Amino acid sequence: MSRIAPDLVNLDPRTAPPFPQAALPMLRNPQLRKNVAHAINVIQAKRANLVAEKTDWQELRSSAAAIRTLALENLGTYLEQFEANCSAAGGTVHWAADAAEARQIILALLRQENASEVIKIKTMTSAEIQLNPFLEAAGIHAYETDLAEIILQLGEGEPSHIVVPALHVNRSQVREIFARRMGLKDLSDDPQALTNAARHYLRQKFLTIPTAISGANFLCAETGSVSVVESEGNGRMCLTLPRTMITLAGIEKVLPRFQDLEVMLQLLARSATGERMNPYTSLWTGVTPGDGPQRFHVVLLDNGRSSILSKPKQRQTLKCIRCAACMNACPVYRQTGGHAYGSVYPGPIGAILTPQLMQMQHAQSLPYASSLCGACYEVCPVKINIPEVLIELRAQVTDIERKTLSRFFDPMYLGLRIANLIFARAWAFHLAQRFGRIGLGLFTHKDGWIHSLPSVGGKWTQTRDLRGLPEQNFHEWWAARRKEEK
Amino acid sequence: MRTSLFITCYNDTLYPETGRAVVRLLERLGVDLDFHPKQTCCGQMHANTGFHGEAFSQAKRFIRLYQDAETVVVPSSSCVAMIRDQYPGLVAELGNEELRQQFEALVPRVYELSEFLIDRLGVEDVGAYFPHRVTYHASCHGVRALHLGNRPWQLMAKVRGLDLVPLNNLDRCCGFGGTFSVKNAEVSSAMLAVKLQDVIATGAEYCTALDNSCLMHLGGAMHREYVGMKTIHLAQILASTEDCPAEATL
Amino acid sequence: MIAPANSRQQILDRIRTATQSVAKTPTELRDSYDAIIRNYVRHGSLSVEARLELMIKRLREYDAEVVETTPQELVSTIASQLAASGKHTFVAPSGLPADWLALGFNWEIDRGLSSAKIEPFEGVVTAAFCGIADSGTIVLHHSATEGRRVITLLPDWHLCILRASQVVETLPEYFDRCQHPPTLATHISGPSATADIEMTRIKGVHGPRFLHVVLVRDDI
Repeated sequence: MSRIAPDLVNLDPRTAPPFPQAALPMLRNPQLRKNVAHAINVIQAKRANLVAEKTDWQELRSSAAAIRTLALENLGTYLEQFEANCSAAGGTVHWAADAAEARQIILALLRQENASEVIKIKTMTSAEIQLNPFLEAAGIHAYETDLAEIILQLGEGEPSHIVVPALHVNRSQVREIFARRMGLKDLSDDPQALTNAARHYLRQKFLTIPTAISGANFLCAETGSVSVVESEGNGRMCLTLPRTMITLAGIEKVLPRFQDLEVMLQLLARSATGERMNPYTSLWTGVTPGDGPQRFHVVLLDNGRSSILSKPKQRQTLKCIRCAACMNACPVYRQTGGHAYGSVYPGPIGAILTPQLMQMQHAQSLPYASSLCGACYEVCPVKINIPEVLIELRAQVTDIERKTLSRFFDPMYLGLRIANLIFARAWAFHLAQRFGRIGLGLFTHKDGWIHSLPSVGGKWTQTRDLRGLPEQNFHEWWAARRKEEK
Repeated sequence: MRTSLFITCYNDTLYPETGRAVVRLLERLGVDLDFHPKQTCCGQMHANTGFHGEAFSQAKRFIRLYQDAETVVVPSSSCVAMIRDQYPGLVAELGNEELRQQFEALVPRVYELSEFLIDRLGVEDVGAYFPHRVTYHASCHGVRALHLGNRPWQLMAKVRGLDLVPLNNLDRCCGFGGTFSVKNAEVSSAMLAVKLQDVIATGAEYCTALDNSCLMHLGGAMHREYVGMKTIHLAQILASTEDCPAEATL
Repeated sequence: MIAPANSRQQILDRIRTATQSVAKTPTELRDSYDAIIRNYVRHGSLSVEARLELMIKRLREYDAEVVETTPQELVSTIASQLAASGKHTFVAPSGLPADWLALGFNWEIDRGLSSAKIEPFEGVVTAAFCGIADSGTIVLHHSATEGRRVITLLPDWHLCILRASQVVETLPEYFDRCQHPPTLATHISGPSATADIEMTRIKGVHGPRFLHVVLVRDDI
């Protein structure tokens, strides 16, 4: 199929279906699940090898977590420092309180340049603010230049992973998209041939379009520098050839000092792509006369981040360096892929970041999109305790539900409220066990197993049996034994 | 050596044979075991589902119940993880200094079963006999929250007759995740199906683990799909002898 | 053009409120920063020989070609590398040593060429700032001997002259080498690559597809 199922995919958290529902198309699509599993297995194997080789991996993680925490706790100071140093070097720093303002700032800058086209380095932040459709509506076409992003842009698909956004697309799908949109009838599906086609397609754009938009992996407060980490070289093209460069960066991207990159870069490459170092890392500071863009703007984006910052238990979410190791490790993501999360940030980090950016008004199903297995926390290079944040967000979602009338019609809510009363007193617990044994006994077959239950229980018995409650539970056995002994 | 058994709400109700096995095992090892009749639940289900307020009273109850216990042994990694990882936050929030002190004094005395055997009793060979082909699933909380490491293997290595078959992706989540199994039933089932493929591929007679929650999940699918494999809590394997072979779960 | 002052102030105010219980004063912050525990490996443990061997090994893993030479033979090595390339037109940084510009080729010295003017050139020759053996990384700080960023980006073939004395083992050692942070830096760890199509690593998307390194043993 040519378009990558765009009708089924909605990455706007305000309107995307809840996770259990959004996951279904993927669960029912063996090809997609196979593509995702293959991609994940490759990155995981490479990562595992390199982590085993890096004898100071845990020490790097500890330092990275400490650096990022210090940066966040002193974000105001470091952002002002970054602004001062970037400006002194010839850059212009803008501040956008929310997505709408960021879009307006960028549009105004592009209009200043009379730009009808712009080349982009992949930046999930620009997807977060839905920049491309906004610019399109304003008559400005944004050309994605990352291979994965081109595949998605030309194929009208949506990203499903933050490092390898098109991992759900296989080579024959790519071939079909390129052949059609680039007019290359005889294109083969060999990845080398496909890559050559992309190289050729973009070359002229790099050389002629004078305005570029990028994200930032890191902002360095000490120097006012920006760092971009990439593999393909399209980043270097975009940040070197044009006349005007606009960098969009979340306020949380700042590092205190240049030297902190010695920690972050070692962790990022291994975590993201399973390499000791990614092919190209670029660092630039404001404007360098005669070298690269002579007009440079940084748009600092809040869009809910300062709100996350204000909550001590949740602040750690902002330590994220967008490596995607968490989603590669996640057994849920492995089955559902990224689109199920209804956000440009999928996987474990998406499950905590997205609802928080939405001030918990949307994406309320995402904190529950996890079995709390902890694999994400284990691999996170900056030690974000994602399970801890998931549980905290679940408490917030539940507190919201407590204020609604509909809670009285939610069997899970009622069941848990009742369970709490039951667990409060041993006699209530024991009584409930007896009633449970009688009640479930009605559903228990002769083989001692339950095959079908109503309501919430039915969600279990959809695919699993449940052994019937034993005649004598443990505490009854213990009490009987005590009696016998006496 | 004295210990108090916290059987856990679900083991009490659904898997009393695991409790009986823990009793048989520890008494055989000369442990003086008691059972507090007023125990109910550690609060994990509520805490993990977002019913944070409800978890407070359950945590308080647990702490108060066991403040005089020499040690507490729990045949469930996830419950011990709840106590170690989440109780500190709950206790801090409650702001009761006395409770906090009771908790700080109690928590080092709470052991998951394999920790109790290896660390507290200092035994690896518990005198067990279980002549069957078995594969071991490493439950998530045991691996990542409790860092049990090699303990299960140290114990299994000394079980006579045991034919241990390694499980591929042994520490990949089975998909249970407590209420996740019903709130995200389809995703949970997909994870379970993938996990089951690895388990079946071992050709073992039994799948064992330190958490009956995972075994309930795996066993439920095995039974539904006529897989012909049984689940059994590791306590039951360790309690099994020639004279008194283990009761299987399935 | 600065954005409306109220957004900047609004954001900084939100941040200040959000972090008021943890934010530090400038002096405290310096101390807190210095107190960050850094138990990771900063310094390498390999001998000079082993370090250079590692650098070469990593470069070759990326399919970069590496030849060793001595300072005395450097010029002739460059000439033979250029001859073997089959290419004829090369661009060079403005500060490249004159004797590196081997005869028999078309050279253009970059004193601010436009991208369109650089595009037809087949190759580029530069020096480097540093080599990092752990990851086979070549670092350019774009000085006069390394050239503006565009000239190591557009040509398809890059010959990089790296001195042994410039090679360190670890990434932190590169940072120690920087007497002050660079305004411009490009870290190159192999030719460009993508794994976006079915995770098959393909070399040479944009950026030079052919990287040749001459390692000058200025340490012996």
